[in-house]
Amino acid sequence: MGNYLDVIKNLILFKEPERKETFTLQETSFDENQKENEKTVESNKRPTKELEVQRKHNDLKVSTDEEKNMKKDKLKISKKLSENLAYIKKIYRIPTNADVVIRKFKVVVKDMSVNAFMIFIDGMTNTKVIDDNILQPLMLLSNLDIKTDDLDIAKYIESHLITHNQIKATKKFVDVIDEVNFGGCGVFVDGLDVAFAADVKGWLGRSVGPPNTEITIRGPQEGFVEALRPNTGLVRKILKDEDLIVESASIGKKSKTPVSILYIKDIANDSLVEEVRRRLNNIHVDNILDSGELEQLIEDVTILPIPQTIATERPDRVASMLTEGKVALIMHGSPFALIVPCTLPELFHSPEDSYMRFPYVNLLRFMRVVGMIVALLLPGTYIAITSYHYEMIPTDLLMSITATREIVPFPAVIELLLMEFAFELIREAGIRIPGPIGPTLGIVAGLVLGQAAVAANIVSPIMIIVVAIAGVGSFTIPNFSLAFAFRILKFGYILLGAMAGFLGIAIGLFLQGLWFLSAKSFGVSMFSPIGPVTSLAFYNDFTRVPIWKQEKRPDFLNTKEITKQPKISRKWLNKKSGDGDDNGE
Amino acid sequence: MIMESRLSFGRWEAITLLLNTICVQIFIDFPRVMAEEGATAGWLLVLYNSAIVFFIFSFILKLFLKFEGKDLLDISEEIGGNVLRVIVGFFIIIYFAFILSMVLREFGEGMQVIAFPESPLNFIIMLFLVGIIAGAYFGLESIARFHVLAVPIIIIGLLIILLSVTQYYNFSNLFPVMGTGSYNIFINGFHRISTFSALIILFIITPFLKTHKDLKAVGFTTIGMAAVLLTVTTIIYLVVIPYPVAVESFIPIYQVARLIDIPRIFERIESVFIVIWTGSILLYLSVAFYFLVYTFQKTFKLTYYRPLIIPFAILVFNFSLLPDNYLSTVHLEAKYFSNFAWILAFGMTIILLGVGNIMKNKRQKGTGESD
Repeated sequence: MGNYLDVIKNLILFKEPERKETFTLQETSFDENQKENEKTVESNKRPTKELEVQRKHNDLKVSTDEEKNMKKDKLKISKKLSENLAYIKKIYRIPTNADVVIRKFKVVVKDMSVNAFMIFIDGMTNTKVIDDNILQPLMLLSNLDIKTDDLDIAKYIESHLITHNQIKATKKFVDVIDEVNFGGCGVFVDGLDVAFAADVKGWLGRSVGPPNTEITIRGPQEGFVEALRPNTGLVRKILKDEDLIVESASIGKKSKTPVSILYIKDIANDSLVEEVRRRLNNIHVDNILDSGELEQLIEDVTILPIPQTIATERPDRVASMLTEGKVALIMHGSPFALIVPCTLPELFHSPEDSYMRFPYVNLLRFMRVVGMIVALLLPGTYIAITSYHYEMIPTDLLMSITATREIVPFPAVIELLLMEFAFELIREAGIRIPGPIGPTLGIVAGLVLGQAAVAANIVSPIMIIVVAIAGVGSFTIPNFSLAFAFRILKFGYILLGAMAGFLGIAIGLFLQGLWFLSAKSFGVSMFSPIGPVTSLAFYNDFTRVPIWKQEKRPDFLNTKEITKQPKISRKWLNKKSGDGDDNGE
Repeated sequence: MIMESRLSFGRWEAITLLLNTICVQIFIDFPRVMAEEGATAGWLLVLYNSAIVFFIFSFILKLFLKFEGKDLLDISEEIGGNVLRVIVGFFIIIYFAFILSMVLREFGEGMQVIAFPESPLNFIIMLFLVGIIAGAYFGLESIARFHVLAVPIIIIGLLIILLSVTQYYNFSNLFPVMGTGSYNIFINGFHRISTFSALIILFIITPFLKTHKDLKAVGFTTIGMAAVLLTVTTIIYLVVIPYPVAVESFIPIYQVARLIDIPRIFERIESVFIVIWTGSILLYLSVAFYFLVYTFQKTFKLTYYRPLIIPFAILVFNFSLLPDNYLSTVHLEAKYFSNFAWILAFGMTIILLGVGNIMKNKRQKGTGESD
């Protein structure tokens, strides 16, 4: 009850707005941004008394957690193997943790037999690599007479005994633990205050296959998998450019999920990359499992129905967007990469758009917009016409509609809501039930129930047509989340149409327009490039120009390099051209 | 208001915003009023008024040169301090509150007659009120961007209406060319420059426009485009509906739309245009309402404008219901809006800018002499 009262109170009374960090993507260089950041840091250094008290209060709250982490970070490896072993056992709760393996063995270093142990997590590591490249050399090859001048034992082991390509020597426990947690192994040797962390990942996973949700007829048929490095590798395979940067970040106190930030250094706006970094580094959650969760944590407006990032499982789409000047986020454990910023027109693009000839794409884009309008407005418009504006309908059609509706006992709006509800039920059930039963359910629920409902005079046949066309229209929207958004909004238009006919629908469109126009994705208006109007507004976002005409990158991204290709990219058209020296005009 | 101070929008946003604000009268009663004032020469009256406004604006533009990036309230403060700023602000607030209430009532009544004869007027006005409250809440940036999207669609819709009735065009309806006489057009018709009084918004959004050049481009383009749209609509209204009937018609453009005949597809297509009209009116109302609260905020130097939205919406709702009926609303509007709006929009602006320029010149001379 209290909550409801608060909501009503908030609607009526004014509350001082919270000061939120806002970000607008502007044409500023990285240096300027740094300076601005420094300024804000300086101004933050002089907080008001009130803020200071608040900050102290907050500091007290987090201090215990931070102290704990600090201690953990600073803890160094002991020279005594027993102490190290005890600490590792304590950290990993051994023997409670059954999949954590500790293997004790002996290493011969310069004619001395030294105790050592190895730790790794079974199921995440490649045991063959551990056996052949770590254990075997340490236990057997160490007996060989190795010619070397190395006196430092740690260096000797790293340089001569461990025959593995990715190994690092560290003095901190936290480095070894992080490596072990992510499919590596740690080697501790008695008498050394250094441990070795080797990358021996080897978990089982899906191999690269065709994408499940973004199926195309033309174009590559590879989709991301659940592992981070193969995914970044798939993008690198397409963009063979040393300016493609793959930065690392980690999210989640418990899950420590690795996330890669991908961008092309000489194209992407520095302030955009910095903003992505800032948002990622300021997520404080325990665990994060999928990019779907990450999307919700980094988006600008939570309540907005349309998605503010592009989620794709296609490496080619990521590569294409990176070359436009966008930033991609690939998360370990998720086959979907996130691309930011995103605009509403881009959500209507299909990955196939680039691979098909431009007249086909323009037709398809037009059809998608029609599909969207039908999905959003058709049911509401039908209600508006039949309830308020029936004079619009030709008399013959009006008579037949009236005849079919005469025997239906419900008002049109109730009839429509019943049908829409049934349609949503069938759609949800179709996704949840096992694959082979899906089509059967579609036939039984869709056809048989629809037919039976008409026969039983519960709904009129024209209502079935309206609901079915609106449903088909929603399937033409290429972005899954966007289709969801329009499905929800459709119900609003049904109610508005029932309440005030075309006037209600016009008011709905007005409110929706304002709402969407005020939304931003990483500092870029969701309605770019027409709200606000930027140059080349209708260039490649609404319609598509031929591929040789796509000379510029989107203006709203404020990229470092606006030109994508020279004005004449098909040099072969010029008779005098030699080997196609690519120097502009 | 932190964001608002950084707000700036492009020329196209400003042009579409002003264009709709001026041309929205087409959907209310503009063609009929022109027929009343100029008879068969109503279209000539529009052209005459446009030409006058063109010259007045050129003059204002020159006066604005020394006040780049400043709006009427800033200038009035510079001339006469807080007192003058409050007085000027008060007049602008009255202008917006009056015109907003009148249009709300007129369109509400019109909508009731056209499509919702059984719905109460309060309900229809409240629906509009929801739209304008949302508009003010989302702010000028969203409203301006919406204009870029919607105004071309509204113009296309209007042109479709005007072109769909070609079979009713009768150009002999335009004779006699000078209507009821040149005195009526050029002397009595002068006060009709109030049609362009919405240009006062341009003198309030100057801080949001980047340079004086933008102000010039936006102003002239808007006046030009508005003149074309208003003239074309009046001509077609007059050639389609003969003068004696033209002065009687209720919501003139709707009467034109009723003549559209597309057999076997839609019987009465005019209902579809309700969406376009409502869109245009909602945009206009939200602009006027935003500037009402914005002017109040700026006049009294308040930190936030959002707390003003609900109280002002209630006030406007009540004002709109004050006239007894539709006819008294039209009468009120004709009596006060057309007679006084131009004085406020152009007269007050010229006086303020003129005094401001004289004071600046004096100051400059003073500093020059002291040097």
